[in-house]
Amino acid sequence: MNLKETVNGTTLGDRLLFILLLLVSFTGIIFIKDVLPQSRDVTIEAEGKLTHRYPLDTDRRVEVGSPRGRFTVEIKDRKVRVTEASCPNKLCELQGWISRGVIICLPAGITVTVGGTEEQKDRKVDAITG
Amino acid sequence: MMKQFAVHSSQFAVRSSQFTAKKMLFFFLLTTFYLLLSTFLYSCSPKKESLYRKTMILMDTLVTIHVVADSEKTADRAMTGAFEEIGKLDTLLNFFSDKSEVSMINRNAGSSGVRVSPETFEVIEKAVYASEKSGGAFDATVGPESSLWNFVTKVKPKDKAIREKLGLVNYKLIVLDQEKSTVELRKKGMIMDLGAIAKGYAADRAVGVLKRHGIKSGLVAVAGDIRAFGLKQDGKPWRVGIRNPRQKGEDDEILATIELRDMAISSSGDYERFFVIDGERFHHILDPRTGYPARSCQSVSVMAQDGASADSFSTAVFVLGPVKGMNLLQQMGFEGLIVDKEGKIHVTPGIKDKIEFKRNS
Repeated sequence: MNLKETVNGTTLGDRLLFILLLLVSFTGIIFIKDVLPQSRDVTIEAEGKLTHRYPLDTDRRVEVGSPRGRFTVEIKDRKVRVTEASCPNKLCELQGWISRGVIICLPAGITVTVGGTEEQKDRKVDAITG
Repeated sequence: MMKQFAVHSSQFAVRSSQFTAKKMLFFFLLTTFYLLLSTFLYSCSPKKESLYRKTMILMDTLVTIHVVADSEKTADRAMTGAFEEIGKLDTLLNFFSDKSEVSMINRNAGSSGVRVSPETFEVIEKAVYASEKSGGAFDATVGPESSLWNFVTKVKPKDKAIREKLGLVNYKLIVLDQEKSTVELRKKGMIMDLGAIAKGYAADRAVGVLKRHGIKSGLVAVAGDIRAFGLKQDGKPWRVGIRNPRQKGEDDEILATIELRDMAISSSGDYERFFVIDGERFHHILDPRTGYPARSCQSVSVMAQDGASADSFSTAVFVLGPVKGMNLLQQMGFEGLIVDKEGKIHVTPGIKDKIEFKRNS
């Protein structure tokens, strides 16, 4: 059976079924890549490199450090704070508990970010001014 | 058996008396092949453009760069170059570092000019331009006044101290010598602080580096000083949220969103660094003409072709207030959004259709 015979032998229903399958495969690719929601998480980056990633819904304490400083990140009740910072002014500690956004420790060069893909999609923005 | 199954189980198959098991198998294999091929092409195509993002702490703040590139390697190389450029500017312009060129200029105030790099010279030129155009509402020599305030330890200076320092705040006493590439502050005790223009300028320089690396679309955000170029990989413009100056909860962080293409946006607000004494809010945006926090606005966002202008003029407009500020924006050909002290929003005509307000803000 060659291709021409096969195509000629199909009915409208066969062809519709085929188109349907193509559409399903397309949708699948887009769905997996872009639509499937991801949970909010806590990411810790030092000098621009990801060092830790934890789910926001699991309570824990993590010691974080770089050659320039150390502190503890506490995740509790879907909130995050920084404690026991080694820097003198402790601005990161003053920020308190956050459930969204970033805590920056300038002396250590470390950022603690709460949020994930889902959150960015919710806000529908690439950056925030102000 | 298979034929019977086909006839009874599918409406399409009922109409097709020739729908055999072989044909079903053929379509199945063809579809599977197509599926695998499309998945392979989607994930492996070298020409496919994706969005890459990286964040670093520079200029004492969070710097985020987004680029659209055809590979991670290209994106990484460009972003690394852009971060290095911002790092270099941080070294040159950092007000708090003794080694910066700005600190050298300040140490030599009232005695001699200091030879500086082309970048430092250029950003000071732009600062002087913004001062001239705003009649001194923006003034990079506000340093003697801002040094009196401490928004971490909540120190409000004595009125007498503020008055005494006012004579040292005057952008007209900045002497720029283009030929020698020198900068001089005429009076001893003058202090230059480029904090209200340097981040916007850094975004401009970083965008320049990205473009030189062949990047066609990207966004550089040095804290809230943002410059974007090109369109995103989905063909849409970059979208920037404008922070709500009186945020109460998680749902009202953003006041409005605006599309940004080949433009820069910066904001100045009374909510960034402040303290409250007896119900009165003291914030970090000082009126250079009085030495006290400017009172007429809660926040100002300015859109301009370049980041240095957006950054410096957002401060200038904040200081001038909604009426004079709007006039300045129109005179300069910039767009902007002002939230005045009562919370009323003023928008330039050019962006009325491009701005989208959030309902819960």
